[in-house]
Amino acid sequence: MAKKTFKGRPVLSGKLTGKALVSKQPFNLTGSYLKNMFAGETATAPCTDSANKDLFEKDLKGAIICTPQTVGSTMGAGTVMMLSELGVQPQAWLFSSHIDSISAGGLLIDDVWNDKRVITIDLLGDAFLEAVKTGDPVTIHEDGTVEVG
Amino acid sequence: MNRRKFIKRSTMACGAVAFLPGRVLAQTDKASNSASSGGTGAGAAGKGKSKTGEVPDYAKNMLHSDMDGIGPDGKPTGQKATYTGASKANAKAEEAMKHKMKLTKEEQAILDGKDGKEKAKLMKILVTFGNTFGAEKLVDLGGAPHSNMFIGAPYMKSMIKMLDECAKAGLKSYAPYTVNPRPYDVYNVQNNAKDMTMIYEGYSLQWDLDYVHVRLGAPDLNYRTCACYLDEVGNAPDPGTYVAWAESSAVNYGNSVLGVRTNRNGAGMDLIQAMLGKAPLFGLMTDEGRKAKWLVEVKTSQEPDWGVIGTAIGRKCVEDVPYVTGLDKYFKGGKVTPDNQHLLKAMGSATASSGAVGLYHVEGVTPDAKEKGKKLLAKGYEPYVIDDKEQARIISTFPNLWPDKNGDPTAAFIGCPHNTYHEVIKWGKLVTEALDKAGKKEAAIPVYMFMPNPVRDRAIEEHGELISKMKRAGMRATNMCGVSYAGMKGFSDRVRGVTNSAKTRNYSTVRYFPDETLVKIIVTGKIPKGA
Repeated sequence: MAKKTFKGRPVLSGKLTGKALVSKQPFNLTGSYLKNMFAGETATAPCTDSANKDLFEKDLKGAIICTPQTVGSTMGAGTVMMLSELGVQPQAWLFSSHIDSISAGGLLIDDVWNDKRVITIDLLGDAFLEAVKTGDPVTIHEDGTVEVG
Repeated sequence: MNRRKFIKRSTMACGAVAFLPGRVLAQTDKASNSASSGGTGAGAAGKGKSKTGEVPDYAKNMLHSDMDGIGPDGKPTGQKATYTGASKANAKAEEAMKHKMKLTKEEQAILDGKDGKEKAKLMKILVTFGNTFGAEKLVDLGGAPHSNMFIGAPYMKSMIKMLDECAKAGLKSYAPYTVNPRPYDVYNVQNNAKDMTMIYEGYSLQWDLDYVHVRLGAPDLNYRTCACYLDEVGNAPDPGTYVAWAESSAVNYGNSVLGVRTNRNGAGMDLIQAMLGKAPLFGLMTDEGRKAKWLVEVKTSQEPDWGVIGTAIGRKCVEDVPYVTGLDKYFKGGKVTPDNQHLLKAMGSATASSGAVGLYHVEGVTPDAKEKGKKLLAKGYEPYVIDDKEQARIISTFPNLWPDKNGDPTAAFIGCPHNTYHEVIKWGKLVTEALDKAGKKEAAIPVYMFMPNPVRDRAIEEHGELISKMKRAGMRATNMCGVSYAGMKGFSDRVRGVTNSAKTRNYSTVRYFPDETLVKIIVTGKIPKGA
C-alpha cells in the first residue's frame, strides 16, 4: 500500500515503529482490560469488551492502538496506571479525535509521577482512522507525524 | 448547613483521627505500607508470574459507565466525549500543539521545585493537562473539593500509591473535602459472610484509600456521599466559585444548580488540583464553555418523569450544555429549595450517566439562566422537544434485564444520587401509609434507602417515630453507593431490583419505575400489570 502521512499532536511524544491495532469505535478503557485487572493475567491483554467487534479477544499488550478516543468509567485513569504497573500497557495510543480527560489524566500522571510513558498522539483526524487497518505498518515521529503503510 | 459550618465540623473530625487508639493506628500504618510497597490484596493482579483466571462477575458490570458509547440497543453509537464538557470537535493538531498556558511567578517556582519534588511533579502534571485542553491559565480554587476516588479496588493500586506518596510528603488539600460514598456497607446491606468475602476480594485496598483520604484532608466516613451539596453535609460553595469536583452527578448539580465552576474531573486529577489549590481554566469553568448548544423544550402535558427526561437529554446532548425550558413552573418563584432540589438531582444525574453532561441551564431556575436567559444559547444551537410521545419513547427503551424476566422483585433501591432529607421523609410516609392502608406492618421486599449519615441523623432527630416505623417496615438506611451494590458479583442472579433512579438503571439490571408504581411494588412484592 502507498504510504500515507498524518499530522497529529504529541500529547506524550516518542518514536516508534510497529503494527496498528484498530478500533473504529471509541475504546472502552476499563471494560477492555478486565482480564488483566481482575483475573491476574499479565502475559497478554485480551480485549474483554464484547461490544467492540474490532478488538474483542485480540491481544492489546504492547499494541499501537488506533481509535477515535477512549470512553468509560471516570476511574479510567487508575486503569491506565495499572496497565503499566502490570506491564501490559500498549506501546502507543493514536487518537483520531481530541484525547479525553480520563485517559489523559492517567497517562500524564503515569508519565510524570512514575516515569512510565506510553506514546500518545491525538487529533490525527478522521482520515487517519479511515486509512489505517489492523496490521498496517505504522511509524510514529517525535513531532506527532504518523506514517501508515 | 453552610460551607463555613462544613469546614468547621470537618476540621474537628479530621482532628479526631489523631486521637485514634494505638491499635487502630498500627492497623492504618500497616495498610498504608501495603499500598506504598505495591502489595496486592486478594484478587489483585500482581506483577510477575502470569495467571489466567476468570474475570469475577463483580467486575463485568464495569463495562457500563457514564457515556460508554453504547446505545440502548447494545450497539456502538459512535458518540465521543472529552468528559470535560468542553467539546473539542473542531480542534486542529497544529494549533493545539502550540498552546501553552501563562504561569505566574509563584506557579513557575512550584514547577521548578520551590515546594519540593512531589509538588513540582503535581504541578507538571497539571500544567501539561491544562495545555492539552487549551486552558488559558491556572486559577485559584475556593470552596471545598469533592473527590470521586471511592473504590479501593486492586486496579486502583498505582493511583492510591501515588496519593499515599503525596500524603507521606505532607501534602494536603487546600480545604477539607468531601468524598463519594464507600462501595459497600457491611452493617446494613451486605451483612452476611458471602457478600463480605466478595467485598474483601473486590475492594482489598479500601482501607488504604480511606487512610489516604483522611491524611489529605477528608473528614470522617460519616460525611461520605455523592450529594455533597445537601444542607446536612454542607459542601455547597457560592455561585461563581472555582472548584475541582469529580463525580458526574455532583459536578452536574454544582455547575448547574449552585452555579459553581468546575470541569468534569476524572479520578486523580480532582485530588491533584485539591493539593495544589489550582485548576486549569477551560471548558465549563469559562463563560464560553457554559454556553448551550441545545435548546431543550419540555412540553409534557403533566409533570415530567425527571429521570426519563434526564436520560433523553443525556443521550441527545452527550456532553454539550443544554438550555432547558418548560420546567420553571415546578419551582415556586424560580427557587430551588430543600423540598424540590431532588427533581433537578434526578434529572441532572440522568443526563450525566446516559450522556456526559456536566452543566445544564433551566430557564428561570438555575443561576446562570436567571442572570443571562436565552443569551446563553450558542450560535447555531440545535432544538430538541420532549413531549409526551418522546418521553414514552425513551421509557420504551428501558429493557427488562432481569435474567428471570417474569420473576417477582426482591429489593427496592431508593436514592441514587443519595436521598435528600425531604425524600427520606416523603418515602417513609408513602411506604408506611400504604402499608397501613393494606393492613401490613412490613414491606414485601427490603427497601434500601441510600443517604449520607447526617441526613439519617437529622431524620431520626426530627421524625423519630416515622424512622422507627420505617425500620420495622424493612426500610434500611445506608450511606453506601447503591450503584456499587448493583455491580456486585452475581447481583442480577440473586436480586431482581427496582428503583426510582434513572442513574442506577443506566448502570445495572435494576428496573426503573415511577414513584406510585414503586410504592405498590414495595407493598405487594409484585409488578403491577401493565407497569
